[in-house]
Amino acid sequence: MSKVNKPELVVDGKRTDGRGLGDLRSVKIESRVLKNADGSAMVEWGNNKVIAGVYGPREVFPKHFSDPFKAIVNFRYVMCSFSSLEEHSKGGPNRRSVEISKIGRHVFENLILTEQFPNTTIDIDVEVLQSDGGTRVAAFTAASVALVDAGVPVKGFAAGVSVGKVDGQLAVDLNKVEDNYGESDMPVMFNSSNSDILLLQMDGLLTRQEFERSIDLCFEASKKINTLQVESIRKKME
Amino acid sequence: MERKIVTPGELLFDFPKRVSGTYVENGKTYSAVLGMLSDGFFIPLKGRYTPFPGDLVVGVVMEERFSGYLVDVNAPFQGVLDSRDLRQEFKIGDVLIARVDSIDEINNLILVDPKKLSNGEVLEVNAVTIPRIIGRNNSMIEMVRSLTKSEIFVGKNGRIFLKNGNIALAIEAIKKISNEAHTSGLTDRIKNFLEARLNEQSK
Repeated sequence: MSKVNKPELVVDGKRTDGRGLGDLRSVKIESRVLKNADGSAMVEWGNNKVIAGVYGPREVFPKHFSDPFKAIVNFRYVMCSFSSLEEHSKGGPNRRSVEISKIGRHVFENLILTEQFPNTTIDIDVEVLQSDGGTRVAAFTAASVALVDAGVPVKGFAAGVSVGKVDGQLAVDLNKVEDNYGESDMPVMFNSSNSDILLLQMDGLLTRQEFERSIDLCFEASKKINTLQVESIRKKME
Repeated sequence: MERKIVTPGELLFDFPKRVSGTYVENGKTYSAVLGMLSDGFFIPLKGRYTPFPGDLVVGVVMEERFSGYLVDVNAPFQGVLDSRDLRQEFKIGDVLIARVDSIDEINNLILVDPKKLSNGEVLEVNAVTIPRIIGRNNSMIEMVRSLTKSEIFVGKNGRIFLKNGNIALAIEAIKKISNEAHTSGLTDRIKNFLEARLNEQSK
């Protein structure tokens, strides 16, 4: 991504897709979209399209992986070969999916009441069907709804969004262009119940003041995402 | 009676209370699963079956060992039937009812008093809706039994064994109860549903 081809990201307070700096893309969440999984959810977040399925708690295989004190959480994040403009066609885990699978496991180990199910496993599989920046927060948002749909005991929802710096200004929910040509990108996820930070990563640089402001922006946006998550679950109970 | 659907993470009580499907943090009780708050009681609407001593469950024999059998009881882990307690032999795939004798903190689940079930069908439903399927003083299940004339055994683990009578109708009714477990006035609605179906079929 050479700086030479960098497009203007913010013009008169409007971003490339016409949003203001504090606006989210349109987010649609639907729970229980799959029949065979214990719980599932689909999230359409702008041009991102993510589907999540949850199995468990169930017996661990192979057995020596099991933990006698708590359930183990397996998180699998996969980008489909047709999901992006770039190549994802080689199949198998790559650097990116291994990283996101690992941080996903950490997010949900801190959210699920794992100590209630010793010697079992909870498997969360997320497939990214279409990507346009911010797929990891979309993936974890979907996984969180799928967990609730499966009836796995959790402390709350994992809700969040990424905030970044584009053309020197802080903007909420970066898309792919802004992510590639912006100065910084920081995805943050919160526990909807007690506002614990479950995920915090950062690419690029932010000053301390910008960082603190970004956390506040993320928190405000995550509340909107959480409202949609709760709605998607309630809808299926009517 | 006031009913409210609660999602995980919502505050239920300002004091610690140990109920299934909840957790306690800083002396307050929060919901951990999707549930219903009704007259100060929290009723989970989702979740897997957790075995409790004394429960009668419907299981499937999964594995035969020298010391006994491993039985799938629709829980996150398998139950064990000790061959020293048994007077009959089972084959893999046999369906049985058994009583949960004990369960320890690392989920060793011991089953006793097995009885083989045969010539019937097994239906699996969401285990948390079992109390609703049984109904107050067995009212709901007795109604389904008498109207469909089938023998129905309801296991606490969300598995239901049906035999003889109008099994297809009974299954339809039980699935309806399970899907609408969180709504009120269910007994009357199921009664109307069953009677309408029976009228249709007798024509």
